[in-house]
Amino acid sequence: MKWAIVRFPGSNCDEDARFALEKAGIRAEFVWHTAQDLRGFDGVFLPGGFSYGDYLRAGALAAKSPVMAEVRRFAQEGRYVIGVCNGFQVLTEAGLLPGALLANLNLHFTCKEVGVRVERTDLPFTRLYRQGQVLRLPIAHAEGRYYADPETLKRLEGEGQVVFRYAPLGEEAHYNPNGSLNDIAGIVNERGNVLGMMPHPERAVDPILGGEDGLPLFLGLVQEVAG
Amino acid sequence: MPRYQATLLIELKDGILDPQGRAVEGVLQGLGHPVESVRVGKVLEVVFQAENLLQAEEKAKALGKLLANPVMEVFALEALKELP
Repeated sequence: MKWAIVRFPGSNCDEDARFALEKAGIRAEFVWHTAQDLRGFDGVFLPGGFSYGDYLRAGALAAKSPVMAEVRRFAQEGRYVIGVCNGFQVLTEAGLLPGALLANLNLHFTCKEVGVRVERTDLPFTRLYRQGQVLRLPIAHAEGRYYADPETLKRLEGEGQVVFRYAPLGEEAHYNPNGSLNDIAGIVNERGNVLGMMPHPERAVDPILGGEDGLPLFLGLVQEVAG
Repeated sequence: MPRYQATLLIELKDGILDPQGRAVEGVLQGLGHPVESVRVGKVLEVVFQAENLLQAEEKAKALGKLLANPVMEVFALEALKELP
């Protein structure tokens, strides 16, 4: 199994993504944002970072990269695409996922561990988690406030497209770190093969990194193929 | 071909909370300026060639559509002028 990790100018979680994929037993190759051919790959990972320095809007310029036309085709074929943090922003800017990610309510770049509840487990990304399990995952972003118009939000909730939601790790009352509507931390497209999330599972795949709650997400991808 | 300069204004849609505007508003009020509200947007000045003013306007609007994110933004063509 082989995944492509797309590098945009300003990506900085690309090595973390490789570490996580390889730890799960997946071959990972870096692909430059000008690539126009993703044949031979089983999945595409859009890593976090600050593509194009977040100019215009976070992810806006990367969403117009040559590789994104191919990522779109890839997604339409039903193959797997994961976008984390800036990668999630790129996916919404490219229209591959609904909604948008706006400036955090407190205007701060927020870098900390948060609780993330698993809302469905019938996806390859979440099949190794328990329904309702609260993961401990790091976030590191300034534009992570998920927004969608009321109609889109209703559809997302109705179709079960909300995969991850911010949740308290303990007793804390203020667990939503950025003001995301409905505490949304991650969503999938209708077909369930394109995942976007603000928390970083790839930064939580080894005890030395502070936890391994992100690892099952990557291991689930392998099981999907193995059947 | 004549050159034109378009001024595009991109703003958050009404009703979408703009924390940047809120922060500016707070500072202005702290300085004793009783403003009602502040919203922060972006201005883009784009220079390009077109056959005539009508075509230039079409091009400018197409650029605005490309650069604004319709999920949370609206754009307006604020000004369009032919350059000498």
